[in-house]
Amino acid sequence: MLTIRKLSRRFREGEQVHRVLDQADAQFRDGEVAAVIGRSGSGKSTLLNLISGIDRADSGSVQFHDIEISALAEPGRTLFRRKHIGFVYQFFNLIPTLDVEENVRLALELNGVRGAEARARSVEVLKEVGLGDRVHSAVDRLSGGEQQRVAIARALVHRPALLLADEPTGNLDEETSRQVLPALLSLARSRGATLLIVTHDTLLARMVDRVWELRDGRLQEISCQSSGQQASAT
Amino acid sequence: MPVLWAASLRHLMRHPAQLALALLGLSVGVATLVAVDIATASAARAFELSLRAVNGAATHEILGGPVGIDEQLYVDLRLRNPELGFAPIVAGYASIGGQTMQLVGIDPLASPQFEAPASGSGGPMGRLDLSRSAQWFTQAGTIMMAAATAQELDVGENRPFELDIGGRRATATLIGTIADDQAGYDALILTDIAQAQGWLRLRGRLSRIDVRLPAGAAAGPAESRLRAQLPPDVQLEPAQGRTRESIDMTSAFTTNLRAMSLLALMVSLLIIYGTISFAVVQRRRVVGILRALGATPGDVLEIVLAEAAVLGAVGAGVGLLLGASIAHALVGLVSQTINDLYFVVSVRQTVLPASSVVIALLAGFLTALVGALVPAFEAAAGAPQLGLRRSVLESRAVAVARRLALASVLLGLGSAIVAASSGRSLLAGFGALFMLLLSVAALTPAVLRAAAIGAAKACARVSPVGRLAFSEVAGSLSRTGVAVAALGMAIAAMIGVSIMVGSFRESLRAWLERTIRADVYVTAPGAGGPERRIEPELVGILLRTPGVADYSISRHTQVELAGEQVELDALQSAAHSRPGLVFVDGDPRSAWSAFASGSILVSEPLAWRLRLRAGQQLTIPTGSGARSFRIAGIYREYGNDRGNVMMSLGEFRQLWHDESVTGLGIYLRPDTSSAQVMMRLRAQARGRQALLISSNARLRELSMEIFERTFVITRVLYWLAGGVAAVGLLSALLAWELERSREVGLLRALGLTPAGAALLVEAQAGFMGLMALVVAIPAGFLTALMLILVINRRAFGWQIDLHVSSAQLSNALLLSVAAALAAGVYPAWRGARATIADEIREE
Repeated sequence: MLTIRKLSRRFREGEQVHRVLDQADAQFRDGEVAAVIGRSGSGKSTLLNLISGIDRADSGSVQFHDIEISALAEPGRTLFRRKHIGFVYQFFNLIPTLDVEENVRLALELNGVRGAEARARSVEVLKEVGLGDRVHSAVDRLSGGEQQRVAIARALVHRPALLLADEPTGNLDEETSRQVLPALLSLARSRGATLLIVTHDTLLARMVDRVWELRDGRLQEISCQSSGQQASAT
Repeated sequence: MPVLWAASLRHLMRHPAQLALALLGLSVGVATLVAVDIATASAARAFELSLRAVNGAATHEILGGPVGIDEQLYVDLRLRNPELGFAPIVAGYASIGGQTMQLVGIDPLASPQFEAPASGSGGPMGRLDLSRSAQWFTQAGTIMMAAATAQELDVGENRPFELDIGGRRATATLIGTIADDQAGYDALILTDIAQAQGWLRLRGRLSRIDVRLPAGAAAGPAESRLRAQLPPDVQLEPAQGRTRESIDMTSAFTTNLRAMSLLALMVSLLIIYGTISFAVVQRRRVVGILRALGATPGDVLEIVLAEAAVLGAVGAGVGLLLGASIAHALVGLVSQTINDLYFVVSVRQTVLPASSVVIALLAGFLTALVGALVPAFEAAAGAPQLGLRRSVLESRAVAVARRLALASVLLGLGSAIVAASSGRSLLAGFGALFMLLLSVAALTPAVLRAAAIGAAKACARVSPVGRLAFSEVAGSLSRTGVAVAALGMAIAAMIGVSIMVGSFRESLRAWLERTIRADVYVTAPGAGGPERRIEPELVGILLRTPGVADYSISRHTQVELAGEQVELDALQSAAHSRPGLVFVDGDPRSAWSAFASGSILVSEPLAWRLRLRAGQQLTIPTGSGARSFRIAGIYREYGNDRGNVMMSLGEFRQLWHDESVTGLGIYLRPDTSSAQVMMRLRAQARGRQALLISSNARLRELSMEIFERTFVITRVLYWLAGGVAAVGLLSALLAWELERSREVGLLRALGLTPAGAALLVEAQAGFMGLMALVVAIPAGFLTALMLILVINRRAFGWQIDLHVSSAQLSNALLLSVAAALAAGVYPAWRGARATIADEIREE
């Protein structure tokens, strides 16, 4: 269970203070696939950063199972992220100097899995995302959809309990999105991971278990039907 | 290889130009340090070997004064101490075809038992076959020398050739050569002791007696017994003492060289800092990804420092090889300076001491690691956010520049405090100097930013591209600041050294004008002291030459004071020459009368080294035993850094029983010209002795030539440091250009012509060079003051008057602007030919 309690985060820009999250509350069940929608600048990415421990909240807490992420010091948050979280980004964020398999293997090596086992597991996940024939390709030779599938493989390879996806289809055309999204969802579900997706994608909002809207710094659960309309409006 | 390391390595390999420039910068820095170490070690080693070449196994030496030791003492000692080893030596200088060499007379029957174990069986004499050995004893003028030296001087075996010994010609014959595997003979001419006595006019005298005392417990009593048998005018000294003293003489000179080479390494440090900073900045997104994936700050720190360590290791290796090659060129300059200022040494081979390898490795590693430390911590400590904006980075750089400006003030103050409070410590003096140079580097980014903002504002109405060019320099302080700081520091050092050398030159010129007052100088040529003497019968003839109105007579020799050889000038001065000396302590009016009645005058460097004041007593070993003299005055002297003692010729002759004359200063009648009198003097000397007869102008000129020669190596070193800084600037400009290629592409898409793009980059490069100069000029003056008032004073004891001229800034101007413009050429060319479509294409 991922629990967010009274989570607040402000940013200062000169004299102005932007209240991005303001006492936000939410709960996500284990194995659930949830989408968070909201306007640009509403704080969706900040929410993911706070959940993953990349950023620290001004107040409130983030708890995953019995671990209170927000109470951990920086090294603890890094180790938590390394072990329990998989990240998928809008711009893929692959390491350009590594090939496809190496990008995926990196997540395993950071978790202490090395050598032949790491290679075998990386190739296995790449086959699952349909890139078994591109294992040693340079990442900048791949299409956007392929790059995102590498990113998904990297996010899943170490079997994290929590998957965070920040606009995973935001940089893909509609047709590619239709290929990538089902792959992401089915892989997350087959592994029993909790998947939290920040998105504008109406198609995606209709495929998830629950939809939350982030507005005025607070999270509010909305129905799947209305979420589709709202997402398309943002 | 772990993927994390592979990512790091591949990033470095993807930017080969930056990597190569960083390696070049570091390697040249390391190489300069190593080259100086090798060159000075090689010179010291060559000198040490030359001292050990003859009788290298001697444990002690019996030394006399300028007139040497009575050879009867040797006979007596051998008879009274049959259990001890003794070998007589007569040593002096001779030249062959203009090359000065040590002439060493040995007793071939006594010397073999003194061969050092390393020199091989039998030593040089062991290499002679029997027929040649007979020649050694029966034929006059036979000599031996190193095979390579003989070849170099074109001296063939059994072919008579001419030797010049103190202006006198002698015919010598080479009867055998010493193989090149026997080190230390490169600058030696070996002859029989009786022959050497004849050539050096030391009939019945020895220069020293080498002694071999038994090892272990028996040594102490044997030494005491031997000491008790010696007359008061000779001393028993440990054999290593002479070597150490001679090498110690050069310590101030070699310390200065090391400091100059450290400067090059300090510039390298800034280059490494710049390179690693760039590498980190270029990978800020990758570092962010790694951190988001769970890489700890420690992982990131490890990667960056490991990269620096690899860079350091490769830089150290390349630097060591490069240093060894530079050392071959540098060793000539070092040995030339040592020959000019200290002692005769011939360095045929460079040695690679273990210290050089350690220095190279340490310098490479530490420079790279220290240079990488700040960017590594910055990379590791940053929040794991992917989108670290450029503006955030630059605002950090601005904040750092402000803090550095404050640090600069503190460093400047620290430098002044260290310089003022560290007494006579040369090391602390260099510490203060380096703090001053670091203070310049720290101030540079803030000055650059302020100037660039000002220039952008000034350009705003005239040229939008100009405004953009300068705004970019100010707005990219994280890139431009370090490069300009490195260049500024190198230029400040260059200006400082130029002003110091220029001031020294002018002070020397003024000193030569004051002290070289006679119209014509006549001296016995050659190196060394006692054996340089004008033939006694010739002195009177020369002084009676028509046109001579007055004269001074001098005898030049050396005495040992506080463990070092000090020049002793015994002078009978002409009335005109007295005002030539400038006293820095003591009353000039009373000093000369005290001098005439037995007091001595002491030069400033000696007074500084031994902390002497006018009015104090100084004990000097004389030919009649140790005597205490009152110091009548301390005078300014730039002739040598070990110091001089001046005493009246009458006093000297009485105490040393030496009537020889080394030189004459001749004052002419008003109606005669110096050319006329010199011609007459040469005619008088012809056939008797080849003397050096020079006009005062020529003598001053010769002194200035030696001065210029001794500073050649300093110039070479500061140009090397400047070269490293130029490499740093090129590296920074390249990296900067690489990073903003998209921006230049965009400007090109908006209508900037290729020439305009090139001009933009060149204008920025030129501006950066100019700013380095602007910072360096005042800093250079302060550096010069530090060099003159602190470093030179502490190293050599002399005071130099400050002289500044525009010529002293010309090298700095040339380096800063030329280096900056040259560094901008390639980035400008790249900017001009950028393919717009490629550069502005979205990810």
